[in-house]
Amino acid sequence: MMSTNQSTRILVLDDEPIVCKRLQPVLEKKGYVVETFFESETALKRFLENPFDIVITDLKMKGMDGMQFLTEVKQHSPATEVIVITGFATMETAKESFRKGVFDFLAKPFKLGEIQEVIEKAEMKRKQAIDK
Amino acid sequence: MKRFFKNSRLLSIAAARMGFRKQTEQPVSFALVFETFQKTLTLNNRILALIAGMGDKLGGDYVFDNQYIQSECAEAALLTHELIVSLNTLAPQKYLSLFDTFQTISDAIKEELAGRPVIPKTDAVMPYSRITRDLENVAGAKNANLGEIRNMLGLTVPEGFAITSQAFDAYMSGNHLWEKVAAITRAWQNEEIPSEQASQEIQALISGGDLPGSLKKAIFHAVDRLSRKTGETKLFLAIRSSAWGEDSGHSFAGQYLSILNTPVENLTRAYKDVLASAYDPSAMEYRRHKGFSESEVVMAVGCQCMISPRVSGVLYTFDPQAPERDVMLITSLWGLGAPIVDGRMAADQYRVNRQFPHEQAIVSIAHKKEKLTPRAEGGTELSPVPEEDRSIASLTPKQLQLLAQSGLMIERHFKKPSDIEFAFDQNENLVILQARPLNIKMDRSQMVKKLPAILETAPVLFSKKGFIAQGGIAIGKVFMIHRDEDLDEFPPGAILVAKFTSPRFAKAIRKVAGIITDVGSETGHMATIAREFRVPTIVNTEIATQVLKSGQEITLDAEENIVYDGMIRELRNYHLTENPIEEAFEYRLLRRILKKIAPLNLIDPSATNFVPSGCRTIHDITRFVHEKAVEELINQQYYHHHDPNTVSGKLKLSVPLDLVLIDIADGLAPDVKSAAILPEQIASIPMRAFLEGLVMPGAWSNEPMSVDLGSFMSSMTRTFSAGMATPKEIGQNLAVISKPFAHISLRLGYHFNMIDAYITDNSNDNYVYFRFMGGVTDPAKRSRRAQFLAEVLSKNDFRVEVQGDLVVARIKKLTSARMTQKIYLLGVLVAFSRQLDVQMLSDQHIAFYAENFHRLIDSNLNPNKNEGNYDEH
Repeated sequence: MMSTNQSTRILVLDDEPIVCKRLQPVLEKKGYVVETFFESETALKRFLENPFDIVITDLKMKGMDGMQFLTEVKQHSPATEVIVITGFATMETAKESFRKGVFDFLAKPFKLGEIQEVIEKAEMKRKQAIDK
Repeated sequence: MKRFFKNSRLLSIAAARMGFRKQTEQPVSFALVFETFQKTLTLNNRILALIAGMGDKLGGDYVFDNQYIQSECAEAALLTHELIVSLNTLAPQKYLSLFDTFQTISDAIKEELAGRPVIPKTDAVMPYSRITRDLENVAGAKNANLGEIRNMLGLTVPEGFAITSQAFDAYMSGNHLWEKVAAITRAWQNEEIPSEQASQEIQALISGGDLPGSLKKAIFHAVDRLSRKTGETKLFLAIRSSAWGEDSGHSFAGQYLSILNTPVENLTRAYKDVLASAYDPSAMEYRRHKGFSESEVVMAVGCQCMISPRVSGVLYTFDPQAPERDVMLITSLWGLGAPIVDGRMAADQYRVNRQFPHEQAIVSIAHKKEKLTPRAEGGTELSPVPEEDRSIASLTPKQLQLLAQSGLMIERHFKKPSDIEFAFDQNENLVILQARPLNIKMDRSQMVKKLPAILETAPVLFSKKGFIAQGGIAIGKVFMIHRDEDLDEFPPGAILVAKFTSPRFAKAIRKVAGIITDVGSETGHMATIAREFRVPTIVNTEIATQVLKSGQEITLDAEENIVYDGMIRELRNYHLTENPIEEAFEYRLLRRILKKIAPLNLIDPSATNFVPSGCRTIHDITRFVHEKAVEELINQQYYHHHDPNTVSGKLKLSVPLDLVLIDIADGLAPDVKSAAILPEQIASIPMRAFLEGLVMPGAWSNEPMSVDLGSFMSSMTRTFSAGMATPKEIGQNLAVISKPFAHISLRLGYHFNMIDAYITDNSNDNYVYFRFMGGVTDPAKRSRRAQFLAEVLSKNDFRVEVQGDLVVARIKKLTSARMTQKIYLLGVLVAFSRQLDVQMLSDQHIAFYAENFHRLIDSNLNPNKNEGNYDEH
């Protein structure tokens, strides 16, 4: 998956540092460029400066929640694929996420293999979009 | 009780479904009792599944967060509470004290969940034999590491004990110091006073306090015990700081105090001085700089028997200046090692290759005129080194080799380059004095840039085969295990490759860098051992022994599940510079909480601790409740007055199964009234099929070896305490039946077997549920029996889950005829496997007995081979 010259850039936002701590090295080892954030405001600021290819975000957070965050992300950069990770998965939040154009929705806890698979699919979709 | 029965509609549906006789005006009908019984078992099973799920999260394959831990604990508490309510409904008000037991456990869990640095309520002192790394909050980091090394790795550390965090709290509270220290700290943080002044004032306060009486007593008790244990009448101790966070991720190295060779009469003074050193000005500055909260300043203390070493030193498992060189660095000198750490004396230096057989090179030999030694009356002094020893190496090649192996063992276990202080005593025994992570200069950002390219071109031997049982990276040479004896030859640091997993690997586990097997389960016993020792492990690859050759250098990436040809040091180094995820707060929290949930202490129902107050974990509570629920049902329905709408009796069978039958509706022939029931009187479809299987010729006597029939039978049904117990107390074998339904609870020896089956003409409603757990033999054999069951059951179309020695199998929606066959098979299987754990001497026996089983079935029942193929799948 790492054959493109330009590394895929991934932003991870979760107010629990453990999630970032866990994902960052695993994804970096795969060749992704990863930046992690615990606060949605800081993450959004960074995103607006320099958009990412893929965004992985939690939903329930202090301040701006994940739904708001991903809405802003999609508005600013529709090509960015957003993956939602949440411990409070309900039908409603899942539906709302997809309505907002979220690529996929993972319930925490999840296996590392699962999120890697989703990321690969998201990359594939981006690639197809670019090829078109 | 009312609460439970409020949903009467649901109840009547359930009752109708099982075919209960029409309810009469009975005060408590069996329908209600049985419903409660089943609910109890369901809750029980849900809790056990929850516990297993929480354990799985520690394997390293999952991303979980604090929120997960919180919600699982809440769920566990809720279910357990409901479980106890349910048992007390079944046995009205009989086990109310379980609520108190539960409350105690639950409170302890809540305390952990609060997440603030809470000083655990423990004893004021704790011997090293009881300390592991999970007790850092109790014993401080240095003690926790030493305890782990002693108790998990089996290396020698000084005899001694920890004076715990709780003792620190008692000292501070007893002298009313918390408030005073907080006030001074605040002033310092607001920059009203400089750190030197703050430090001086606080240290004076701490040094000036008195030990509370109970603390003093506890400490001197511990000293007495130590004295008895070592046979030393006059002890000299090393009193060492062991603060929270010290020696773990952060290096407070050298900032806190250690006082060597303290005579016992000076112990309290030394203790206070070590406590006071928590407020050394440089330590305070360091904490401020690193963003530590002052509420995290907790000082436990280590009290170790002083050893008088011949030679001491420091081992770095990497050369900090050149980590890419794959060598270890060792320094040493005669006598005590403190001058090396302080940099006061020049020391001998060696480089030792990290790879076995650990090639050595002397870098420099210092001229050692003097050495630091313990003084007879306490304290230390410099004494001359004999002329002939001054210019020779203070460590022998053999000692260097031993150090290298021990150092790597510690590094593998802690998953960090390590900085280890050691000594060889006068009898040449290696003693580990301290171990902490070594900060080495590896540029992670450079590494992470290069690594993907390196990995992309590295030759992959196989990938994504089997399951990761324990994450991590190992590099080394393959060592193939064919027979158990091969383990004796295992070269340290090699990668163990074998066809089968075997708990016997535990014997060599401390030398093993990684494990790869062809066959095996991620929840088997060996996987548990691998996790305990944190050895990167992949099981069930199917091809490892074919692809890999003995002596081949490989890289085992048990993070990504890939095995590469050659040793990719970059990957290993990258991994070593990572903060091991097991050290993350959430992992430590989950481990601590699981200790209050998962271990099973109540095993033998006839033991004196088999009472509510004997339950120490949630698992204990479920175990207790399960046993009592079955007992209660039998007592109520068989030994006492019971619902006249049910018929109860003992089954008379050609095999000695002590089984009480309770018929709730048309499960028996209409004329049955007596207490002795014959198999042919059974009308229950699933029960009949099960019993037919149970007595199938050959199922009972499958032993390949000759067995004394008398003793065999007695252990079979009469369980362990047959001699003294009445039938009422043993053989908790029970079946509740109706025409289409059977619930069968068996306790054969120490294992539990539960079968639920419902068989009608409507195949959509049909199901069989099989659950098996426990046994009396060692975990290895039990886990093999579990695997045997799993193999047979999945071959026969059951959906099977195995977790350790727990097997759950389900099958649904087959036609009545096929369902009947399945439960017949279960009957045979229960008979066949009831004592099989005893015979499961090796993993090979799993396949052997599975084959035997199927041959037996074939020869008895199945001339038509097509019977096994079901079109439903």
